[in-house]
Amino acid sequence: MRTAVLMKMQDLGVGYDHQAVVRHISQEIRQGQFVSLLGPNGAGKTTILRTLARLLAPQQGTIFLDGKNLQDYRQADLARTLAVVLTERNFFGMFTGFDFVALGRYPHTGFLGRLQPKDILKTQKALHLVNAADLAERYFNELSDGERQKLLLARALAQEPKIIILDEPTIHLDLKHRLEVMTILRRFCRDQGISVIASLHDVDIASKVSDIVALVRDGRIIGWGPPEDLLNEATVTHLYELNAAAYNRWLGAIEMKGDGTAGKVFVVAGGGTGTTMYRLLAKQGFAVTTGVIHENDIDCYVAKALGATLIMEKPLEFISEESMGRAQGHLNGNTLVIDTGFPVTGINQSNLELLKLCLAEGKRIFTLREKAAARKLLGADYQKLVFCQDEIGILRALTSHH
Amino acid sequence: MNLTTLSPRDRLWLFIAFGAAVVAAMMLNTVIGSVPISLSELWSIIGHGSDSANADILWKIRLPRVIAAVLGGAMLAVSGMLLQIFFRNPIVGPFVLGISSGATLLVAMVMLSTLSLGFTGVSPHLNTLAALIGAYGTMTIILLITANIKSGVTLLIIGLMMGYLNGAVTSILVAFAEREKVKQFVLWQFGSFSGLSWQELFVLLGLGGLLLIGVYTLSKPLNAFLLGEEYALSMGVNIKLFRFLIVLVACALAGLVTAAAGPVAFIGLAVPHMARLSLKTSDARLLIPGALLLGAAITSLCDLVARQIFSPVEVPISAITACFGAPIVIGLLLKRKTSL
Repeated sequence: MRTAVLMKMQDLGVGYDHQAVVRHISQEIRQGQFVSLLGPNGAGKTTILRTLARLLAPQQGTIFLDGKNLQDYRQADLARTLAVVLTERNFFGMFTGFDFVALGRYPHTGFLGRLQPKDILKTQKALHLVNAADLAERYFNELSDGERQKLLLARALAQEPKIIILDEPTIHLDLKHRLEVMTILRRFCRDQGISVIASLHDVDIASKVSDIVALVRDGRIIGWGPPEDLLNEATVTHLYELNAAAYNRWLGAIEMKGDGTAGKVFVVAGGGTGTTMYRLLAKQGFAVTTGVIHENDIDCYVAKALGATLIMEKPLEFISEESMGRAQGHLNGNTLVIDTGFPVTGINQSNLELLKLCLAEGKRIFTLREKAAARKLLGADYQKLVFCQDEIGILRALTSHH
Repeated sequence: MNLTTLSPRDRLWLFIAFGAAVVAAMMLNTVIGSVPISLSELWSIIGHGSDSANADILWKIRLPRVIAAVLGGAMLAVSGMLLQIFFRNPIVGPFVLGISSGATLLVAMVMLSTLSLGFTGVSPHLNTLAALIGAYGTMTIILLITANIKSGVTLLIIGLMMGYLNGAVTSILVAFAEREKVKQFVLWQFGSFSGLSWQELFVLLGLGGLLLIGVYTLSKPLNAFLLGEEYALSMGVNIKLFRFLIVLVACALAGLVTAAAGPVAFIGLAVPHMARLSLKTSDARLLIPGALLLGAAITSLCDLVARQIFSPVEVPISAITACFGAPIVIGLLLKRKTSL
């Protein structure tokens, strides 16, 4: 369902003192849409948001809000249409959570700001919507960052705006509150029909909550669209100039690459048994080669994102001679081998052969398999395996072996 | 510290207590003195009129002073509250920011220099005008310097430096002035609510009263301003007009009191805190009357102490107000984690 356009940017240039930081922005934000601005620090995300909130004048171009030029709004009318949540969470003075949220009623109250019954009701409703009813009687300055942020959201909501603009709403929050804030913002969009535009730092969270992501880099919006279309390893790596990590769209997460200085290991994995091992090895700086992995296996996605050398096979096909050959090519010298205890089925039977070959060549194999299972699979040679309890156990064995 | 809120009923009682304190302080100030006036005598003088010596003392000395102290205290407290909200900083007030000393400097120019030639004696209204110009001048300089400064402590130091500079120029003026004028100026600079004529009082009452009522009508934007200029703007406050009004009113209040009573320390800084902490709110609609009443009561009591503690020698009122005001500043600096 396509909703009406609420905000329209026409060849917008934003910046300070006649210096545009980001220019040529021509985009639309629809009612109830969640738009996230992504990009490196200093890319101009905050400048864009401040301009959209009319805290800064545009350097060029025009912004239309609800069909009317943003600059033509009277301050009070704008306040009834647009609310902001800024990064500041320290305020001077003594007020309770309720008092704080009730300040959001400002554009709706009379000369002295006296709250009418409907204002009190709306303030309470806003507190409820952000799960902060219990903070109503507590003093703002005694609350944690996460609790304060919820009140900031409620205050914006109490303004009854059509759009809320947030500058880094999750910054300095713990995991619980980060997720809670995002859930609340989603609720604003879906249940209240409010458009939300926010700068975010977590690509993985942004990809999961946003309808639209805007990628800001080098003074331009280099991408604007659904995260499902836009976010992949190439765009995210380019956006942030990543070199020690990579985004994986299937995982929807960032994986940290190892620097490969701690030595080479070959991991025989599959069926998701390798993921924890890969991350641990990458973290400890091992250069990981892994195979033979099927293309749709989660091990494949994680290993790729971590920057491991991958020997891949097409999904749901038997491991080919050619793939086996490449795997053996990586198993030269005194490479250490890890067996993650992958399930052996028809199509990855060859991985078992790989292990047998290694044993035959006298290579050291660290395994997560149970002894009985290993004997069944590998026969008498199983005793040459180094049995480990878990991934940490393997790591210990590896390092002591070194 | 886990604060609990006050009910409207609790706050009503607090306001009644503040009001009672003002009345009590006024009564004490009226009856206590080198010539004690008993309550029954007080009633008879006010009620039936009398031309006794005590009636003269009451009408010409005691009552003007009582009213001046109450009014001056209320005005200083509200001025300080406005400045604290304006800078969103708990350790400012007209005295700390050098606004009082700016007013003092200009008054010194009038009282000490030949500027007053051609006037018979020193016109009190010229003093008032000079004090206002001094207050606005200092405030303008502070605003120019602090345009890009967020740190509260920096602001405090700049205010102190403005105080020193104003003091330095004032002392140079004193050095070059005629003896007789210096004596007059030094007495004024000591700070005292005594010696005001009824005419001066009416000016103070009229202007001060108007300003205080004006402040109350700013309650709503004052509350929004607590969240900072950008939030206030986003909620619909006309920031430019509002900033102008706060500065206009805060300096006028401080300047008027300085002109009438000389520089009075710390009332403007300490009283808003006492009001905030006792009412447990920053809501201007409660804080303005709270600060006003507390300022009146406390200044009045300080004036009583200043008169009586080394009687018959009278000490400057700032000597008393500083004794309780300075520790409050230190205390706030030490535990300012939540406010700054």
